[in-house]
Amino acid sequence: MKQKPSVSQVLLILFFILYMVIPIIATYVFSVATRWDRTILPEGYSLEGYTTAAQNPYFFKTLRNSLVLSLSTVLVSLIIVVPTVYWVHVRLQSAKSLLDLLMILPFGIPGVVLALALVQVYNFQPLSRSALLLIAAEVVFTMPFMYRSVSNSLAAVDISTLTEAAQSLGADIKSVLLEVIVPSIFPGMLSGSLLVFATVFAEFTLARLIVGAGFKTFPMLLVEYTRIDGTIAAALSVISFTVAWIASMLILWVGGKGVRSTQDIVKAK
Amino acid sequence: MAYLDLTNISKAFNTVVAVKDFNLSIEKGQLVSFLGPSGCGKTTTLRMIAGFELPDSGTIMLNGEDISLVPPNKRGIGMVFQAYALFPNMTIRENVMFGLRMAKKPKPYIEKKVDEVLDLVRLSNTAKRYPHQLSGGQQQRIALARALAIEPRVLLLDEPLSALDAEVRVALRGEIRRIQTELGITTVYVTHDQEEALSISDRVVVMNSGLIEQIGTAQEIYRSPNTRFVATFIGTANEFHGIVTGENTVLCDDLTLTSDRIRSFINGTRVVALVRPENVQVFDSKPAGDQLNLFEGVIETLTFHGAITRLGISASGKHITADVNLTGRAMLSHHQKVWLCFQPEYCQVMSE
Repeated sequence: MKQKPSVSQVLLILFFILYMVIPIIATYVFSVATRWDRTILPEGYSLEGYTTAAQNPYFFKTLRNSLVLSLSTVLVSLIIVVPTVYWVHVRLQSAKSLLDLLMILPFGIPGVVLALALVQVYNFQPLSRSALLLIAAEVVFTMPFMYRSVSNSLAAVDISTLTEAAQSLGADIKSVLLEVIVPSIFPGMLSGSLLVFATVFAEFTLARLIVGAGFKTFPMLLVEYTRIDGTIAAALSVISFTVAWIASMLILWVGGKGVRSTQDIVKAK
Repeated sequence: MAYLDLTNISKAFNTVVAVKDFNLSIEKGQLVSFLGPSGCGKTTTLRMIAGFELPDSGTIMLNGEDISLVPPNKRGIGMVFQAYALFPNMTIRENVMFGLRMAKKPKPYIEKKVDEVLDLVRLSNTAKRYPHQLSGGQQQRIALARALAIEPRVLLLDEPLSALDAEVRVALRGEIRRIQTELGITTVYVTHDQEEALSISDRVVVMNSGLIEQIGTAQEIYRSPNTRFVATFIGTANEFHGIVTGENTVLCDDLTLTSDRIRSFINGTRVVALVRPENVQVFDSKPAGDQLNLFEGVIETLTFHGAITRLGISASGKHITADVNLTGRAMLSHHQKVWLCFQPEYCQVMSE
């Protein structure tokens, strides 16, 4: 039987929810407020911030750019990380600690340093200041998210034995990967993709420093507006948040079958 | 040439020798067990037959074909793992048909075969479920069905019952033997459980530290162990350390043991004489007649095991274990004085 939570537990959970939700609600309210600096609640409401933002010629272009950038990063990240982590788990266990260590680096190196270093090193065509270089940089920058998620879900299932079982049944390496391994670790790939997508969609530093105006992203437009009009910036934030949220739901929905199988795996444990 | 031939197989991991000079021939339709403590090389040998490890030297011939270097997915060898290894994302039916799909068999054949093997393991009703919805014993039966569906040339079982509870283990090993005999499939069974190995195998290979200690039928292994390791690893045995004093006598401190199974040891050789507890007879009073290997002792421990009672008896400073059936005889008690005796044919002598 479930126990009733105590008062202190309820208060703690409530505090946590408020801590997380208040800034988001405030941003939503601010984006539709006419003036909100003299009163507790806004003095009036209008959708002007949104209409002005949508009229900006760069609005849809930057939205599209950010979506393309985020999805490409997710795709490249999946292609690089999944087979690598799989091989390390099955064949090269000794490399796992090295890989774990490498995956902390993106957290340790500031985005500014990474961006400037990449711009210096890849200062030749067609890479120099291109969207391609930006995607590559974003892949590196967000790799820990993908790596951790995939690695954890690989560790949760006995991947070596599943591989051997499939091989003994006549499966070649392609079938092992596509029919056994990927479906087994799909939940991890999904959560990794979500984290990477959301991070890249809102990422500003790398995009600004590597390509700049050549491939304007949504966060760049947002930052421009913070200097002009707070309400419009808030409206853009809300849009950014909503788009990321919808995209996440979409990814979850597409991978619905996989999510069920995570629960299966958890239950089996 | 036998159906499956392993010749001079050796395998080392870095500097640790896992298997050394392994030679074994298995006839078609036989069930052979590899039995030994963990780390004895039994699983490594099995994995070399499966193709998951490559031997450093030696050859593996299957039906006249050298398969030593053939990749595992091309060997046509089915394997059942200790951890079941069912694919968690597939239903039972999908699991069983996996191998047949990989072999690109026609659909009607696949359907028929899946029904057939699910019937064979008596789990047709679970086809639509997922592995986690089945008990451990059921999962292992499905793993067996999945391995059998591809009609493998050899079936390998790697400690298939270790993760199950005692009752299921006994039931399932009978099931495995029934199916194996029914299909006449050549099978190699790895286990560290002697009872399991002795009860289901045509032949048992006892291994220790990467070497074969003895190959033989269950009875041969139990009744005539070649080495001290085999004698003590399979079942229990009383050990008497002493020196050979005559054609068929061993002096062990104060006890003179007579054996008609002394191999050609010269007088003065240090040896160990082994007697199984069930071959030690226990009497309340000194039996009449001239008996060999008759000693006086005192009961120190008494443990009830159901069918038998195990006695720990101290005789001339030696601790001797005897298994007796107490049905229909006077009760024995602690500190009781008894006489114990064993026939010379049950006393096996081997070098120390």
